[in-house]
Amino acid sequence: MSCVIQEEQQREISRLVVKTGQMLLQHGAESSMVNSLSCRLGRAMGLHSVEISLSASSMVVTTLVDGFCVTTARRCPDRGINMHVVSEIQQLVIAAEQQRLSAGQVKQRLESIEPYKHNRWLVIVMIGLSCASFCRLAGGDWLLFAWTFVASAAGMFVRQEIAHRHFNPLLNFGLTAFVTSLIAAQAELFQFGNNPTLAMASSVLMLVPGFPLINAISDMVNGYVNMGIARWIFATLLGLATSIGIITATTFTGVWTWL
Amino acid sequence: MALVLALLNDMFFAAIPAVGFAMVFNVPPKYLPYCALGGAIAHGLRMLLLQQGIQIEWATLAGSTTVGLIGIYWSKKLHVPAGIFTVAAMIPMVPGVYVYKAMIAIVEINHVGFSIELWKIFAENFITGTSIIAALAVGLALPNLIFYRRRPVV
Repeated sequence: MSCVIQEEQQREISRLVVKTGQMLLQHGAESSMVNSLSCRLGRAMGLHSVEISLSASSMVVTTLVDGFCVTTARRCPDRGINMHVVSEIQQLVIAAEQQRLSAGQVKQRLESIEPYKHNRWLVIVMIGLSCASFCRLAGGDWLLFAWTFVASAAGMFVRQEIAHRHFNPLLNFGLTAFVTSLIAAQAELFQFGNNPTLAMASSVLMLVPGFPLINAISDMVNGYVNMGIARWIFATLLGLATSIGIITATTFTGVWTWL
Repeated sequence: MALVLALLNDMFFAAIPAVGFAMVFNVPPKYLPYCALGGAIAHGLRMLLLQQGIQIEWATLAGSTTVGLIGIYWSKKLHVPAGIFTVAAMIPMVPGVYVYKAMIAIVEINHVGFSIELWKIFAENFITGTSIIAALAVGLALPNLIFYRRRPVV
């Protein structure tokens, strides 16, 4: 890099690098992506090297220019998985590399990223259909398909309402599982369809933390063992909370107990 | 013919949850068709392999590796990370029922006391579930581990 980077400039770029990493981590990117995109952005903007230390809910970034270090730490509380943010940041990094964006331009683009959210009612319908499809794949008939749709769409509504009020996700998953199972259990009570247990089994599948589980393993495979363990444990806790919700519902209704 | 119909049925009903969960992960709308296609391919391939009597873990690995490779191609074409399409495409293959059965067995052991049957349910479901999840993640990571060891895809 021919241009000389002043101390103040280095600080500014360091802030952008840590902001990029923080946004990626908060929106569910895997650790190797957080690391590589932040480093690439820093190097594209003229830093000599960027070193990142990740932990489950925070990150520390050190940037180096001619042996001069700037270190900064950020908390990264979970903001929910958002692939739109991740893809925007990837494109920002590519633009920074190819077009030599200035710090001001990067800052402006970074701040203009507004997390995209799908229409909540559309999500409810699609999640209902998703769980109903699981029921169909497992061999349920159309009556069960419909009932699974009702149960999981209602559950998804509850989940969104609780999440909207910023309750703890563990509490959210437990309660949602309870409501969903309670509705799905009616299939068992009134003997709908060819195999009523499928409605109960399929409708709660919307609560399986698939994304964190896959991220956990890929983090561990890529050498971020601490991140992988943290994600794995949290996903397991979500699963346990869901199980407690399911068991409470089956105890209430006295129907099939899963095992 | 019956096989083709069964395969199409399987792929169709796998594409729906792939899109549904992609929406929960807030994948931008223009990438949703890729999630659907990925989910259909992975689940369809797994169904074919399962019918050949292949163990579910290996069938899953084949499905996830295939989608992992296709994801690299899409990623290069569209300049976005492959994970945007591929993780959502894996969701129909996530072993939810195994995971829940393992967890419920644990809660039941706490509730009614230890029994060999409950412990067996836990161990079997936990091991199968974990193996399948590992197959999903490793399959997606495989193209990076083999071809893109020291350079980014996009």
